[in-house]
Amino acid sequence: MKVRTEILASGFGGQGVVRLGQIIGEAAVKEGYRVTMLKSHGTEMRGGYVRSQVVISKEPIDSPIVENPDIFAALSLAAYNSFKHLVTRGIILYDPAFVVEIDDTLTCRQKPVPAKDLSVQNFGRPVFANTIMLGAISRHLDVLNRDTVLESILHVIPKFHEENKRAFEIGYSLFNGKG
Amino acid sequence: MKRYLETGNFAITEGAILAGCRFFAGYPITPATEIAEAMSRRLPQVGGIYLQGEDECAALHLCIGASLGGYKAMTATSGPGYILYADPYGWAIGCEIPLVILNSGRVGPVSGITGAPGQGEFYLTRYPTQGGNYETIVLAPNSAQEAMAITVEAFYLSERFRTPVTVLADQLITDGFEDISVPENEDEMKDMGFRIWPRKINRGPNFYPPTDEIDIPPVVLGHNTGALCSDWTPTEEGYDIEEVEAHHKHAHRLIYKIRNHRELFSHLHEKKFMDDDPDLIVVSYGTPSRVVNTAVARARQEGLKVGALRLINLWPFPDEHFQKRNKYLVVELNWDGQLVREVQRAAGKDSEVHFTGCCGELPTVNDLIEIFEKILKGQPLARKGWQLEEW
Amino acid sequence: MDYLARKYLRPRKIPSTACSGCGLGINHKAVVQAIYELGLEVEDVVWGTSIGCAGRQTFGTWKGDGFAGTHGRVYAIARGLRLALPPEKKIILTVGDGDAFGIGLLHLIHAARCNADLTVIVNDNLGYMSTGGQYGWTTPYGSKTDSSPYGMFEQNLMSEGMDVLNILRYAGATFLARHVSMDGYRVVESIKKGIQNRGFSLIHIIYPCPTNFGSRELGTRSPLKIYKWIESKAAPLGEEKEETLWATGIYYDASNSRPEFSETIRKNIERIRRSTAA
Repeated sequence: MKVRTEILASGFGGQGVVRLGQIIGEAAVKEGYRVTMLKSHGTEMRGGYVRSQVVISKEPIDSPIVENPDIFAALSLAAYNSFKHLVTRGIILYDPAFVVEIDDTLTCRQKPVPAKDLSVQNFGRPVFANTIMLGAISRHLDVLNRDTVLESILHVIPKFHEENKRAFEIGYSLFNGKG
Repeated sequence: MKRYLETGNFAITEGAILAGCRFFAGYPITPATEIAEAMSRRLPQVGGIYLQGEDECAALHLCIGASLGGYKAMTATSGPGYILYADPYGWAIGCEIPLVILNSGRVGPVSGITGAPGQGEFYLTRYPTQGGNYETIVLAPNSAQEAMAITVEAFYLSERFRTPVTVLADQLITDGFEDISVPENEDEMKDMGFRIWPRKINRGPNFYPPTDEIDIPPVVLGHNTGALCSDWTPTEEGYDIEEVEAHHKHAHRLIYKIRNHRELFSHLHEKKFMDDDPDLIVVSYGTPSRVVNTAVARARQEGLKVGALRLINLWPFPDEHFQKRNKYLVVELNWDGQLVREVQRAAGKDSEVHFTGCCGELPTVNDLIEIFEKILKGQPLARKGWQLEEW
Repeated sequence: MDYLARKYLRPRKIPSTACSGCGLGINHKAVVQAIYELGLEVEDVVWGTSIGCAGRQTFGTWKGDGFAGTHGRVYAIARGLRLALPPEKKIILTVGDGDAFGIGLLHLIHAARCNADLTVIVNDNLGYMSTGGQYGWTTPYGSKTDSSPYGMFEQNLMSEGMDVLNILRYAGATFLARHVSMDGYRVVESIKKGIQNRGFSLIHIIYPCPTNFGSRELGTRSPLKIYKWIESKAAPLGEEKEETLWATGIYYDASNSRPEFSETIRKNIERIRRSTAA
């Protein structure tokens, strides 16, 4: 494994961005990694978007700042435009329901994860979009076992266990192999 | 040992409880509110008391009262609340009352930006009250895990020196999540270097001896020791007195009990890549130091002979680190430069002292490396359109 | 006071450094007398004081443990201390009008709000007299002081039918009384009741300051004249006359009717501790 793995998630309030970071962070703690997770949120900061920055490492983590994410989960157009340039070697997973305009000039890989629409299709409401996105992230995250991520989801979200398991599977099976 | 993904607020709360804190008075303020919330949840579980003050000034006075009654007590706030401590802080210094005060720095002046980190209180924590004639103890952790350890250490020092100790953190430490290990028994605490000093009771009659000695038990009321404590200059017994000689003795004690026991702080720093006499020493404290550490490690890979010095003990200021003529770069979370003034003073005229600041967010590794290169090449510094100050 | 002084007070602080003719000593003696009549010993009382004439002159007089808070904050300190001391220890505070009703009013209200078991003796010399005589929050309308050379014309807590004791009553205090120093044994009785109330008690006592209030407002430093003047402006509750500024006696007595602060906190903590114990 490389020295550190960086995950950035950003969207607007109420999408569960902080929770998403927390779930990945908890899974990493369970697997014995050192973890940092910064959350910035509130309308008082940076135009109202919420951001989670997760760093996972075998070694103690110095800078907790995500400067070159391995995975960037973009859950709003504003978030996408704010942070897309950070991604050079990693991948952007975006929800096309919110990120309606893709920057073709970027050299990094970009993949749509229609989490909101899939949640509405499968469960009749959008609340499981976050778990679907987590499934997609998990597929692209080689440092964490998918079962540990799922376990963390069920731990952090005490309700709707069956739905969350299914949602995770939907997101996970959107892609073949480790991206 | 139990491991959690938790915030610095959690870590500080658990550290305080491990240190024997059983009284916390707070007042809601971002980003220290969650410490108050965690204390309100945790303290009653261990038989401790959580109170909400009518303001921060009251909160620290409540802590003073509780400490005077024998409790290990703590409060937590951010800059706008810390300034309301000026009144009780001075009282606690003068009456030599053990207390722990956490300040989670945000962006000022005044309310500024509530949800972002800042380091605007480097000097305020040195001079938290009026009048002078005292020394203060201030410790600055740079992670949630270390914030737990430093909280424990702050309680330890506050008892031995009988004085309030400020833990200066910032929003990224208190609000940020990290993997945190909490010791579950005394052996594990020892393994983590946690030191505990129990509360003792001064039996008098000389409650304020004119000496720089430490380990003198503090005043505890309610044991009929005849203890007196007040806001006035005390005689050795605690009577109020308006006399220059008595004041001199008291001031001497308040200053030199701390200055003459620097060995208790000397371990509270961190050095990286400092063994080979680096060409540039990057000085910082708190969360910026984490970016500095990453940047310095990467700069070394790129062949730049750079070292990192992180201060954990900010006050009394550790002059000993700056005795050698060198190039220094001070990295702070403010635009005005505070720590840099002290480094410049301690380093003397022969050294070259530079400053780079930002506020509300951490500097980036790339920006820092660029600055290292420029300083080492003797080029003028400029970043993001800001002309850096010449120090 | 000889016997009481020997029993309860520190020789170093007797006689006090108060100005000649100051009425504070009368109030101070009334407090000690009340303590004596309740059969309390030195170790039963922790004595707190404030800033100003009343605070400074009474600080360190009590033979037992004592403290003096910064200006206006002694109520918050005492509340923290209340939680740390056993319930049977009495906390008595001798403070001034500026301390209690000005700078410390917020903290005083919160001490009343939670019915903290404290007995607060507010020694009111009608303004800020230790700083030379400026008007305060109970200074009678029209009084000349160094900061009201044309007569005090600001609204305050004792003008236009307002009464600071109303504020405290509705904030939750359970025993409130008002006196002038010359009320004699009636003062002692009220203080005794205040100490016996397991809750927040406040006894407001107007006392004469010949040096500053007397000389500015009454044009004389004669203790006799200011004593007479204060007496003439006081009348027992229910017997007020037109010129009455201070209706004296027990203003409100709901002693032991509300749960006390430290008892409430302890009870709840014990309940939570038991219910959360693994």
